Amino acid sequence: MNPTPFAGGRRVVWSSAAVAVVGLGLTALGGRADPRQALFSYLVAFVDWLGTALGALVLLGALHASRARWPVVLRRFLETVPLTLPLFAALFVPIALGLRDLYPWVDPRGAELIRRVAHLRPYLNVPAFLARAGLYFAIWIAVAELLRRWSVAQDRSGALALTLRQRRLGAASLPLLALSLSFAAFDWMMSLDPRFHSTIFGVYWFAGSFLAAFAVLAIAAAVTRRSPGQFGHALNADHTHALGKFVLAFTAFWAYIAFSQFMLIWIANLPDEVPWYLVRAGGGWRAVGIGLAVGHFLVPFFVLLSRDLKRDPRRLARVAGWLLVAHWVDVWWVIMPRLHPGGPRPSWMDLTAFVGVGAAALAVLVLRMRGAAPIPVRDPYLEESLRYQPR
Amino acid sequence: MRTWLVAEFAGEPELLAAARALRARGHADLDLHSGVPLHGAEEALGLRRSIVPRLALAGGLSGAVAGYLLQWWTVGVDFPINLGNRPPHSPPAFVPITFELGVLVAAGTIFLGLFALWGLPRLHHPVFEVEAFRSATIDGLWLSAGVEAEEADGVAAELERLGARRIERVPEEGEP
Repeated sequence: MNPTPFAGGRRVVWSSAAVAVVGLGLTALGGRADPRQALFSYLVAFVDWLGTALGALVLLGALHASRARWPVVLRRFLETVPLTLPLFAALFVPIALGLRDLYPWVDPRGAELIRRVAHLRPYLNVPAFLARAGLYFAIWIAVAELLRRWSVAQDRSGALALTLRQRRLGAASLPLLALSLSFAAFDWMMSLDPRFHSTIFGVYWFAGSFLAAFAVLAIAAAVTRRSPGQFGHALNADHTHALGKFVLAFTAFWAYIAFSQFMLIWIANLPDEVPWYLVRAGGGWRAVGIGLAVGHFLVPFFVLLSRDLKRDPRRLARVAGWLLVAHWVDVWWVIMPRLHPGGPRPSWMDLTAFVGVGAAALAVLVLRMRGAAPIPVRDPYLEESLRYQPR
Repeated sequence: MRTWLVAEFAGEPELLAAARALRARGHADLDLHSGVPLHGAEEALGLRRSIVPRLALAGGLSGAVAGYLLQWWTVGVDFPINLGNRPPHSPPAFVPITFELGVLVAAGTIFLGLFALWGLPRLHHPVFEVEAFRSATIDGLWLSAGVEAEEADGVAAELERLGARRIERVPEEGEP
C-alpha cells in the first residue's frame, strides 16, 4: 500500500474555506437584520454537522471496541472526520454569545415560563451551560486526537501496542461519548423548550447523526474511488456492500428511535410533553414531519434494499447525499418550530449557514488529512481488511 | 436413467476448477458440498441470484398490510372502542403491530420458503449411503453431478482427470 503521507487536496481546502467564509459571512450579515433567524439557522447547521463528526467518532470507538478487522482500510478517514471538532468548539462561540436570543430559560419572561424553569435553575443556568459545553468538547477532542495520534504513530513504528491502546481507549470512550452526546442534545436542542423532556432525545439526535456519519463515509469512498492511494480506491464491492448495509440498518434505527419518541409522547398525551409534538406534527409543520417519515425512512429504506445499489459506490453515494439533506431537515424540524411555531418559514440564512458550516468542516477535514497516510499502512489487520470477502 | 456421482477434491481451487470444467462441457446438474463457506461457488456453478430475498419482501409487505388492515377493521370499523379518547382509527397506534407482523411473516416466509426450496422435510437421501461423503459436513470438499447412467463412466474418468482423489457412485433409491 501507499505509505506516503497525503499531500494533495490544497484546492479543496482553499475553495471550501472560501465558500465557508462567504456562507458564514452572509449569515452574519443577515443576523444584523434578523438576529434570531440567523442564530436559529446557525444552530441548526452547527448541530447538524457537529453531530456528523461525533457520529464518526462513536463509530470509530465502536469499531475499536469490537476489534473489527474489515473496516481497517477506511479507518484513517474515520479518524480524520472527528479532527474537525476543534473547529466546532470555535464555531460554538456565536451560540454562546446568542444564548439570550436562543434559549428562553436564560431570561424567562411571563409567570408561566418562570414557574416552569424555576426548578431547573441549578442545571439550566448560563455558567453551568457553558461549563458543560466546555466539558463535552474537552472529552470529544481528547478522544479524537488521541485515537488519531496513536494510529498515525503506528504508521511509522508498526508497534502492536498502539493497536491495543486504541482498542482500550475506543471501548472506554463509548460510555463517555454516549453521555456527553446525550447531555449536549438536552442542552442545545431540548432546552429550547424548557417544558419538554424526553430521555430518548439524545439517542434521537445520535441516531440521525450516526446515519449522517455513514453517509459521509459512503460519499467520501465514492469521491476517492479513482484516486490511487486513497481509501476509496482500495475498497472492493464487499466493503461498499457492508457500508450500504450499515446505511440501511441505521436508516431503520433512526426511524425506530424517532417513532418511539413520538408514539410514547403521543399516546401518553401529557401536558408537559405533548405540546412539542402538537407544534411539529400539527399545523404547518405537519407536512415536514410526514415528509421526514417518507424521505428519511420509507424511500431510502426501500431503495437501499437493492443489493446492486449497495454494491455500487456511486449510487450508494447518491442515496447518502439524499440522507444528509434529510438529516438536516430533521434537525431543522426539531429546532426551528421554536422560532416559527405556526409553520415552516424557510430562510436563505438556513442555506448559507448549512453550506458555510459544512464547507468550513470540509476545509478542516481535508487540511487534517494532509501529512498522514490515507490508510493505516502498518495496522496488523490491514491485509485482512483489503482482502475482505464476507459470507 | 439418472445417476449421481460424488467426487472429493483436495483443495478449493481444484474443486471450483472441476465445477467450471464440467459446466463448460454441458453438465448442468452440479452442486458443491463443503462444511465451510466456498468463495466463488456461485460463479463456478453459474447459479442465478436466489429468490429468497424477493420472497421475504413479499412476505414482509403482505404481513404489514394484513396487520394494518386487521387493526383498522377490528378496532376502527367493526367494534370501535374508546381507548384514551383517541379516534378509533389512530394510525400511530397501529404501527407497532404492523411492523411486528411484517417481520413475523417475512421471517416465516424465509423459514418455510427455504424448506420448500430445499425439498424438506425429506428424511433420507441415497447419498447418505456413501460413507465417505459424510466428511462434507466436516472438512471434505465434494462435487456432485447428476448424469445419465450411460455417460457416468465418462464423467467419472473426467473427474479423475480433473484431480478428484475419490469418486463414488450414489446407489439408486430402492436398491439394497
